[in-house]
Amino acid sequence: MAKITENTRNEVREAVIAFFAEECEADTSQIHDHTSIIKDLDGDSLMFLELIEVFKKRYNLDIELKTIGKYAVKHPVQTIGQLIEMQLLIIEHENRLLELDK
Amino acid sequence: MAEDNIALVFPAFISDYRDDPSLSVPAFPEIFREYLEKAAAFTQVDLLSFHPQTNPMLDDELRNQYITYVYGCSCAEVLMRSGVRPVMTAGYSMGIYAALFTSGSVSFETGLLFIQKAYEAIRKCLSGVHYGMCGVIGLTEKDIRDIAGQYKLNLVIANRNSDHSFTLAGSSFHINVFIVKAHEEGALHARSLGVTIPYHTNLLAPAARDLYETVFSADVHSPEIPLISLLNQELITDAERAREEVVNNIFTPFNWLATQKQMFLSGIGVLTECGPSLSLRRNSKFIPGAGKFVPWNALLD
Repeated sequence: MAKITENTRNEVREAVIAFFAEECEADTSQIHDHTSIIKDLDGDSLMFLELIEVFKKRYNLDIELKTIGKYAVKHPVQTIGQLIEMQLLIIEHENRLLELDK
Repeated sequence: MAEDNIALVFPAFISDYRDDPSLSVPAFPEIFREYLEKAAAFTQVDLLSFHPQTNPMLDDELRNQYITYVYGCSCAEVLMRSGVRPVMTAGYSMGIYAALFTSGSVSFETGLLFIQKAYEAIRKCLSGVHYGMCGVIGLTEKDIRDIAGQYKLNLVIANRNSDHSFTLAGSSFHINVFIVKAHEEGALHARSLGVTIPYHTNLLAPAARDLYETVFSADVHSPEIPLISLLNQELITDAERAREEVVNNIFTPFNWLATQKQMFLSGIGVLTECGPSLSLRRNSKFIPGAGKFVPWNALLD
């Protein structure tokens, strides 16, 4: 289980915002925790998949996509802030993510 | 970018005009209108009332296919008039007809004829049965086969976009059951594609036989710009292979992932989608060593 430091938190936040800024051709200054991924940025599940792959590589994560999918059904992500929190949980718990609901 | 080897990719169906780059290209509307008028005259179908916002014709599979064809041919025409020289074309699914036209293999009207005859043959062979297709993201091929096996769903993987993105075809009932079960199994996305034809499955073999006569009696030339097969990733450079591809494309699964890999391996540096969206672009990001995938109007800069 990885320990989430303040540094990791900042790194993930920066990466998520930079990713959506590039993908959605938005200014990073316009993307905040409350920004809606679908309504404000026109994001979609392929972007989500791509972002997960980015973090899997960067943090060498052992997690199956379907584990994230099952978790996301119970904990839907709508905003950038929620997505950052989910990415941190993924980094922290990897394939044990679903155990959080037990 | 002008020094890169460029390939033009043609989508099958337009699903969205929200990011339509043609709005910023002064030459596009005139060329699009010219092709649209030709298409309307040839097909005798009302296409002239098309409007990307008020009448996008997205719910009519045949008209959508005609408009997608017109749109793709128009993009390619604008690009080539501006000096862009593609070295390869690719037709994603039913995008093959616009790819053939742009490659110089068929006339604009012959492309329309193939669309029309293929659609008629398909409708004839599917009469009375409801079919559909869906896209699923976030599951592996094994996950998909496990779900289909567990719930006895007769589905075909019609296309692989990436190792976690697939297109499935089958009866609409089985497709709908699969969508529900896929979500339960952790798919990030599983949704009907809104088509009623199981393209790229053996169910359409009888339609391909009907289409054969039209295709093999039509005027088809060797492509001046090679066309890559999405069925087996071979480069098509002669008329006979182009004809075979049109017929086989109807009922054979394709592999967009393998096609992109082959394109990049063969030296393509830039792929551009001749359509109003970039729906095909994101999948290429999962390919190691992939080149750039840019909006078609970016090549005009």
